[in-house]
Amino acid sequence: MKLHRITAMLWNYYYDTIHSADRLFDVFYWPILDIFIWGFMTYFIQGLSEVRLINVILGGILLWVFIWRASQDIAVYLLENFWTRNVYHLFASPLRTSELAISLFIVGAVRSFVAFIVMAILSYLLYGFKVISFNILHFSLFVLILFLFAWGIGLLISSFIFRWGSRVQVLAWSIIWVIQPFSCVFYPLSALPLWAAKIAVFLPTTHVFEGMRASLQGLAINYQSLAYAFLFSVIFLIISAWVLSLAIKRSKHRGLLAKPE
Amino acid sequence: MNVIEVKNLVKTFPSKNGKVKAIDNISLSIKKGEIFGLLGVNGAGKSTLTNILTGLTLPDSGTIKIFGKDFLIHEEEIKTRSNIATAYYDLNRSLTVRENLIVYAKLYGVQNYQKKIQELTEKFMLTSHLRTPIKFLSSGERTRTVLVKSLLNDPELLFLDECTVGLDPDMAEIVRDYLLQYNKETGCTIVFTSHYMQEVERLCQRIAFLYQGKIIKIGNAQSLLKELNLQRVSLHFSNNIEEAKKLLHRENIPFDENNGILVFWVKNREKILYPLLEKFVKYKIVFDDIHLNKPTLEEYFIKKSRENKR
Repeated sequence: MKLHRITAMLWNYYYDTIHSADRLFDVFYWPILDIFIWGFMTYFIQGLSEVRLINVILGGILLWVFIWRASQDIAVYLLENFWTRNVYHLFASPLRTSELAISLFIVGAVRSFVAFIVMAILSYLLYGFKVISFNILHFSLFVLILFLFAWGIGLLISSFIFRWGSRVQVLAWSIIWVIQPFSCVFYPLSALPLWAAKIAVFLPTTHVFEGMRASLQGLAINYQSLAYAFLFSVIFLIISAWVLSLAIKRSKHRGLLAKPE
Repeated sequence: MNVIEVKNLVKTFPSKNGKVKAIDNISLSIKKGEIFGLLGVNGAGKSTLTNILTGLTLPDSGTIKIFGKDFLIHEEEIKTRSNIATAYYDLNRSLTVRENLIVYAKLYGVQNYQKKIQELTEKFMLTSHLRTPIKFLSSGERTRTVLVKSLLNDPELLFLDECTVGLDPDMAEIVRDYLLQYNKETGCTIVFTSHYMQEVERLCQRIAFLYQGKIIKIGNAQSLLKELNLQRVSLHFSNNIEEAKKLLHRENIPFDENNGILVFWVKNREKILYPLLEKFVKYKIVFDDIHLNKPTLEEYFIKKSRENKR
């Protein structure tokens, strides 16, 4: 693995971003919109009850951005190479799949942090929510698990793109929203009906958001459940990387990289 | 020393009627410093062969050695020492010429890449377009940008697939001159695919003629034409052309007709052409003019393609 090739791809994404209003827009637009909608709604609900909801909801929105952006950006920046028909020259170059994947991880992570910082500032200005309410160690652990899982999802979508081309691009935007209702981002696991809870408990994201709520309320964290989430995410990432390498190999067998759609 | 050694290469693709053999048991070696041409009609297997040699497509079977190393094992090293230009695929269309060249220079690990980009863009007259996104360039300018990209890493092996398509004649000549000079100065091996036969004839020391995934002939332009041993006969008529056509039919000589000119090929002047001309005199079929020409590589290409179709 060569650092200069990873750097080359990061420059490629940087140039893609500064030339594309879409790529600039989607770092800020939806996250900021979420802060307004959920923030205002929580203010309203809070008036109806004694429970202080705002921290829990905003904490959920802020952490969700890590899995959302990181998974989506991997697929979208890969798709960008298909849209611009750059795949042919990229794969004729010495770039390795692992270097491509790492560069995509980095771009997803950087954009997640940029969106997070903007949202954190906005949350403070609008609702007085301080990000420093998070325990820094807990926060780092949550973000790490979310990144690992998001990268796994991103690589899996990338495999589908290599296998079926840009016609499956809708997955890049949609898959993460299928996971969200079962991830208990805004409500506890106990709030779900039994059938949904059975799915939710399987997902690493559920354990992260349960941990986040405990951390924000000063309760004890269930490290065992976080260990499960971490292990699950690592294994999922490894499997996704393996599926991606198979998909690229299959694309090469079928000659699809030489005529990308 | 052989830079490329291909043995028993086979590649099939799925099709509606089963499988199509795009590469049918090809064996080939290309020497260091050679400019090697790949010729063939559409679908002959030229692009598939180039794609396999650049790692974009995997073969079903066979071995490929480049720089004496197994391609599948040493792919990364081989790709670092080689490059490709094709008129069919642009670089990233959203990025400017300069940005694309920076990305690819870094991908190939080029030291002092700013200077290299400056030199090559000057050579290919792209300096005024450095800040222009690829999507706003003309097709010729895009082709030149891809060519510059292919030369950034001073490749020891260069694949050029129709790399002068879209260039105006002046620019195409500059590119051909540059490639010849580059080949002479660096000893770079070039694998050249083109539909312009004159270009192939001028640049390539050896040519492989592909048809339906097989190499039909391999050799230099002169030897291919010598092997053909044919002369093209053009007979110009202002009248009597129908009688002339009937006579050629009777003699079983295939011909083409174009604006009062009948064109056919003869292998042996004494045995075929002279007796034929005597018959023209005998049947009082008068023609205005006669031209005898040696075939060009283009005519060889067309003839071989037709023979193989039959």
